[in-house]
This record gives sequence, C-alpha cells and structure tokens, in this order.
Amino acid sequence: MAHDTPVAARTAPVAPRPGPRAAFRRWRAGRPFWGGLLLTLGGTEILLTEKASLKVVLHIGMQGLAGYLLPALMVLCGLLTLFNPAQRLFYSCTGILLSLGTWLTSNLGGFFLGLLLGATGSCLVFGWLPDQEPRRARRRRRARATTAAPGD
Amino acid sequence: MASSSNLTSSSGENSGHPESGSTGVERRGRVRPRRAAVMAVPATLAAAGLAVLTAQGALGVQFAISGMPFTVTATELNGTGFEQFGALDNMAEDSPNAGDTGGQVLVVTSAIKSATLTKLCQSVDLGGTNLLITAGSGATKVTATDLTTDSTELSGDAAFRNIEIGNDASTLTKAGVQGPKGVFSQQADTVRIANLRQTNYATTAGVFKLPGLKLRFSESGC
Repeated sequence: MAHDTPVAARTAPVAPRPGPRAAFRRWRAGRPFWGGLLLTLGGTEILLTEKASLKVVLHIGMQGLAGYLLPALMVLCGLLTLFNPAQRLFYSCTGILLSLGTWLTSNLGGFFLGLLLGATGSCLVFGWLPDQEPRRARRRRRARATTAAPGD
Repeated sequence: MASSSNLTSSSGENSGHPESGSTGVERRGRVRPRRAAVMAVPATLAAAGLAVLTAQGALGVQFAISGMPFTVTATELNGTGFEQFGALDNMAEDSPNAGDTGGQVLVVTSAIKSATLTKLCQSVDLGGTNLLITAGSGATKVTATDLTTDSTELSGDAAFRNIEIGNDASTLTKAGVQGPKGVFSQQADTVRIANLRQTNYATTAGVFKLPGLKLRFSESGC
C-alpha cells in the first residue's frame, strides 16, 4: 500500500496546472494571439460588408476583385500569424499594408471598423516578442543594472 | 504551417536561457509597446494621409456594399453611358431579411459608365442608428466610374439623350453590363437626373472619388 504515493505523484505532471484551459494558455503564450485574432476579425468584418455580385466584379475587373482579395488576404495573414508565428514579421508588415489598402478597395475599409481592427492587430503582432520575462522580474533586473553599472 | 513547432528555436534573440518551466515563473510572449509603436506611428500617419487624400477627391475609393437596404440621394446626377434592366436578386439561404419574399427581390439594375454627382448622401440603417456618408457638397463633385446599382425604388426628374427602350437586356452596349436574356431593358447615351433618390437593395460596385468626405453616425437617414 505504501507504493500508492509514487503513482499519485506520477499522475500529477511536472508542468504547473494541467487541463485544457492551461494548455490553451500555454498555446497562447507562444504566439501573438490577440494581434493575429484582431487581424483575422478585421478581414472578416470587411468581407461581411461586401456583396457585389460576381457579374459586376468580373465586369470591373482587377479593381473589383481587389475588394475581395485584400480582406481575404488579411484573414489569411491573421490565421497564419496564429498558426505559424515564426514568420510573424512578414505577416504583420503584409497585414498593415493590406489593412490600409482596404480603405480604397473595400467600402472604406469596412466603414473604418475593419481597417482599425486590422491595423491594431498588425501593430500588436509586430510588437510581440516571444519568451519574455514576467514584467516584475524585468523591472527589477533593469533597476539592478542601472545601480550596478551606471556607466553602461 | 509545418514550422509552427520550431517556434522556440526561431526566437533567436532569447535563446540560451535555461528551461524555466519548472521554476514556477512562466515565460510568455509579450507585446513590447515601443516595438509596436515602430509600426503604429507610420501606419497612423498613412491612414490619416489616405483619409485626407480621399476627402480632397485625389483618391478614388471603391464600394461593394450590401446585406441590407441603403439609401442614396443626390441633388443632381449627370452620366454618360446608361443602362437599366430588371433582375432578380437572391438572398443567402435562410436569410433573416427574407420575410415573406421567399428570399428573392425584384430589382432594377442601373449601370452608368461614368457619372458625376452633386451632394451625394448615402445612409445605411443599422437598427436605431444610421451610418451616414456625405460628399461632394463643395465646389468639386463626386465622380464615379462603372457605377452599378440594384434598386427597388428610384425617383427623380430624369432626362435622357438617344434613349432606346425595349431592348433585350442581353444586347446592351452603352455601359458594358449585360442582363439576362429576354428581359426588358433600356439604354441611353447620356442621363441627367435631378433630385435623385434611390433605395438600393443588393449591390453596388464602382470607384468613387469623394471630395469633402464625411462619415458619421446619425439618428436620421438621408
């Protein structure tokens, strides 16, 4: 009966807080989650404001197609940011250009709302860095650095 | 997609840190505000530049709107290359807007090759509040190319030149859009409509130049 304790210890994993919510939290921590999500939502919002019939789009040509192409690429950039965060710089630069471009091609950027979401998302993705120390630790380290070596 | 697994190895700036998951302090990705500002500042300037250029009429913007009916008014419309024919617009399946219409709306499709509009006003009812876009109230007028609208109501004082009434909709030539075969249609070289008021249902697509653009929410529509 004394052998029960190691079994119980093995079932509790080494990582803190198991379960799907913690797993999602860990997944989110490894990628610019909010930035990618906002960029995706912005593109979706712009697509929802549009509904020109295909006949008209084909007649107008490339300029008509761009109205759908740009928000679709915004959605793509947002999703790729979430699922391939290694390339986030490229996605964010493309995303901001696409977001600004929708002002001209897609109902003033989905009546400005989608443009705003997409631009905010792209900036968040651009500013995101992986593997950061918790805020408190960073502040403490910086304070220590300034007191220890003021010449640097 | 395949490289999502090697995210940690790609974050080269912070490699070499010891594994810290077991120490209790969680290391997470985080948005650095100063780094985000590197992109946010020029992006804001570019967005402001776009809005200013559009309001001056230097840049044309494109509309392809729908989902709900919206109203367009203008004190005067002058156009060259005009076509008009009847058509049926289908809503999305099980659309909440369908009501007793069976999901189909009879519309009048008007196509104008190039048009100038004075005091354009466009409003969309968002339920309680209206999104209002006005332009062209100053000296420069709104210009549009390949303007195609599907409307359920159209009113105004119209004058046409060289009008042909009763063509088959599939043989239209003046604005480059063709309708379905066997449908009544008319076309004209030029059109001039004063006090234009349209209730547009499904679609409009065209490049607009909107000098004096104002976008705002309002309690009343156009």
